[in-house]
Amino acid sequence: MNSKFSAKEAAKAIEALQPELNAAVTIVEDPQDNPNQGPLAGIPVVLKDNINSKGLRTTASSKILDNYVPVYDATIVEKLTNAGAVIVAKSSMDELGMGGTNRNAATGPAANPWNTAHITGGSSGGSAALTAAETVPLAIGTDTGDSIRKPAAYCGVIGVKPTYGRISRYGIIPYASSLDTVGFFTRNIPDAALALEVLAGRDDHDMTSSFLPVPNYAEDLKPSVEGKNIGVFRTVSDRIVRPEMKEAFEKLVKDLEAAGAKIVDVTMDEKLMNLIAPVYKTIANAEATANHSNLDGIRFGVRKPGASVEEVMTNSRTAGFSSYVRARFVIGSYSLFEENQDRLFRKAQKIRRLLVDAYKALFEKCDLILAPAAVDVAPLIEESSDVRFGQDRFEEEHMQLANFSGYPSLTMPLGLADGLPFGINLTAPAFEEQNLFDAAAKIEEIIDWKEEPACLAK
Amino acid sequence: MSREVTIGIEIHCELKTKTKMFSGAPVSFGAQANTNTSVIDLGHPGTLPCVNREAVRLAIKACAGLHCTIDPLVKFDRKNYYYSDLPKGFQITQQFHPIGKDGYVTIETEDGKKNVRIERIHMEEDTAKQFHKDTGTYIDFNRAGTPLVEIVSRPDMHSAAEAAAYVEALRRTLFYLNVSDVKMEEGSMRCDINISLSYDPEKLGTKVEIKNLNSIANVQKAVQAEIERQNAALDAGEEIIQSTRRYDEPSKQTVLMRKKEGTVDYKYFPEPNIFPIRLDQAWIDSIVNSLEELPEQRLSRFEKDYGLSSYDATVLVNDRDMADFYEEVMKHTKAAKKAANWVIGDLSAWLNKNGLNFAKNPADPKAIARLITLIEDGSISGKQGKVVFEEVMKGADPDQVIKEKGMIQVSDDGALLEMINKVLDENPKSIEDFKNGKNRAVGFLMGQVMKASKGQANPKKANQLLTQELSKR
Amino acid sequence: MEKFSTEYFRKLASDLKFSLSDEEIEELKKDFQAVEAQVELFESIDTEGVEPMVFPFEEETVFLRDDEVADVLSREDALSNAPDVRMGHVHVPKVVK
Repeated sequence: MNSKFSAKEAAKAIEALQPELNAAVTIVEDPQDNPNQGPLAGIPVVLKDNINSKGLRTTASSKILDNYVPVYDATIVEKLTNAGAVIVAKSSMDELGMGGTNRNAATGPAANPWNTAHITGGSSGGSAALTAAETVPLAIGTDTGDSIRKPAAYCGVIGVKPTYGRISRYGIIPYASSLDTVGFFTRNIPDAALALEVLAGRDDHDMTSSFLPVPNYAEDLKPSVEGKNIGVFRTVSDRIVRPEMKEAFEKLVKDLEAAGAKIVDVTMDEKLMNLIAPVYKTIANAEATANHSNLDGIRFGVRKPGASVEEVMTNSRTAGFSSYVRARFVIGSYSLFEENQDRLFRKAQKIRRLLVDAYKALFEKCDLILAPAAVDVAPLIEESSDVRFGQDRFEEEHMQLANFSGYPSLTMPLGLADGLPFGINLTAPAFEEQNLFDAAAKIEEIIDWKEEPACLAK
Repeated sequence: MSREVTIGIEIHCELKTKTKMFSGAPVSFGAQANTNTSVIDLGHPGTLPCVNREAVRLAIKACAGLHCTIDPLVKFDRKNYYYSDLPKGFQITQQFHPIGKDGYVTIETEDGKKNVRIERIHMEEDTAKQFHKDTGTYIDFNRAGTPLVEIVSRPDMHSAAEAAAYVEALRRTLFYLNVSDVKMEEGSMRCDINISLSYDPEKLGTKVEIKNLNSIANVQKAVQAEIERQNAALDAGEEIIQSTRRYDEPSKQTVLMRKKEGTVDYKYFPEPNIFPIRLDQAWIDSIVNSLEELPEQRLSRFEKDYGLSSYDATVLVNDRDMADFYEEVMKHTKAAKKAANWVIGDLSAWLNKNGLNFAKNPADPKAIARLITLIEDGSISGKQGKVVFEEVMKGADPDQVIKEKGMIQVSDDGALLEMINKVLDENPKSIEDFKNGKNRAVGFLMGQVMKASKGQANPKKANQLLTQELSKR
Repeated sequence: MEKFSTEYFRKLASDLKFSLSDEEIEELKKDFQAVEAQVELFESIDTEGVEPMVFPFEEETVFLRDDEVADVLSREDALSNAPDVRMGHVHVPKVVK
């Protein structure tokens, strides 16, 4: 992995871009050299602000954690440090991961480096923007319902959500534990393969982390789609809005066929597809409301005064969470009420199984599924909003299938429309990251992406 | 007709592990505040639970000891509520799949033995400890995350005595199995007792819960007081309010802590951070098969093998350390009943007086056994035994003490007769006096005999033989 | 208390230890129309005999942690983020039971 900048320079570059991008929450003032000579020796790395780093403020872009300084490192921070990397900044995100625009951050919206009037996407928007602006070659994110892959597509970088359990979640401020996945942003596939090699592996601190040995993804990388069955997710790609996106997507399909891939069309019942977003929101909101019950201003975080401990909690949580987050906690809590679980939370968990079964069935016909990451480019900041509940368009939310199933899934840039990037999404069955990287590396050769954003670190 | 009392009991026991249920921080009692915690116990953001194998092992032992069916697939759930002693805002427990189900424990009642059914045993984590003072509440998180088992009975008890017997039986069992310290006074065992009264056994009355009981004696007193209170209230036409009460020792009454308004919705759902854990059946079997002797097994063994009364056996078995010591003593003596008396009586009293208990008992079982044998065979008197006992408790050898104090009694007829006749031969004057009706002479002669035996003659026997020999002269 | 009334939402929020402004409650009322609409959508799906999916993978684990002391915090670290520390304890205003 190569870095344009040293750690110190990277921190400065991020600082310099703050007025335009507002992508960082905390910038390390004077990053210290890391004596470890691992595969990431000297590489500056950005962490999403929900990744605990000992002694370095970590807020998850929430006011309630504004003063939180972790006393422990997330497992992946130890892994990065052991590999020689240097943490240079904590990046902006939607508060506690809850959002897809990166507008809902305590520090305000992050801006898209290609056009700062547009959103980065979220919730890992800051990491996506800082990778796109070439401040660092690697930024860590988390993906609960496309929170890495969507911003990666909007910002024209590679976003990888590995298999659930491939990378330890210990030390990552959660959103929804059964969907949360640690992943990352890079600007090329070989870097992504190397990053996963460093980050993956069993961690006894995370009982859901996998015991499967970690392959040498980078060394074994063979850019090829030869003989691979690639399923084109027609239910989604049929809904691409822009002609230039449609054209680029279809051209890629043809190029893949020419490169030796066997193309098959795969589809899913739209009735089921329409359930993706509601099922996702029901499960995610419910798990989130419990996961964030620890944020009460008692043992850490910002405490607001009150006459009783109940008042302290209530005042701290009212002031500490945005209106949007509190609304989602109410919805999540409601779906967990005993009287509602059967028709909401548990029902969503059952439909999740039906969705996963249907999604798995698609892989009986193919090794990988190719889809557009989104059917349009990043919207304008002022025109975007997070739908709090209710139905979203499934073509915008389909990547949540990989969170339901735990499957590894990545997005990579395909082209530009109106000066903004759009991307593709490639997904493989569980723990088949090598296969995913091999195909993605071939696609990378085919696309030969050379575009640069307007906001570029100098 | 009197109202039927129905009692169900929930007991929380801290498991005797080195570390917490879900973290590597040490479990301790009485450590300096907030020195035995990890980020997991404090509910710091990003932390994840990791299940302690030893806690599972101890829970399995509890299940086996209480005759429960063990579920080899361990699952956890979240119980959601906000309280300052609950760091995560939820407690990890086993709501939907308890590790143990459908067991029982045998209790002693006035009408003999009775089984109280156990509905479930589940693992969970303890909360932090709060100290309420005028200046506010002070929180110590050392206890947060300590492994617990909660044992829930069926509503099978119908009197204060049965409730106390149940708590005692559980306490004894868990102590015998080395599952828990079961110290009610330190809170390592806590019970919540639900009591309701009704004329119709099919239709239970309003439940009242009693919490914060610190001894088994208080369990009985509190339940009795609550039964009386409820009876009086119902007699007066009052309604019983669903509530939580505590026992107030000075007034010997239960007092209201809080009313229960409706049922709290804890929004239980499966813990997403812990995959279901499949326990190895061979491991479960090895734990179950190497279980320590249960108290009820020991009780019947004591009655059968040592011929002890049910009362003596129960007193011994209730205190495992006392029973252990008794068994050590019995390796060196055959006087089972006498040994039981000494252990339950003099030794217990001595320990008590010295602020000790059987867990910290300095007595050498072999020495105590020897002392008991010496008394049993008449080598020393019971009274002398008490003197020897005091010395033995200071570490002395009983035979040595007896020798030093010259306590060995000469009871052998031949030896005594020889001594007596020698004394009589040497004191013709006294024989004369005796024959002249001077009874004082007997006293003098007896003194001479004791002197000749260096005080070791069995006085009763010597006196009897002296009288006999005098009459022959 | 009427379901989805202002009072109802105040109670829901209070149970979650935060408060909501009147405007926030009005927004929530709209959200809950969507929630209820969604229940209808859910009900249109037959899930008879389908088990809830709690985890992405349903592999059972056999891993249990050894009972060895690890990762203990110093008192200083344990209390470093606490907003109010007195006499080595986390201090809060008196708990109202």
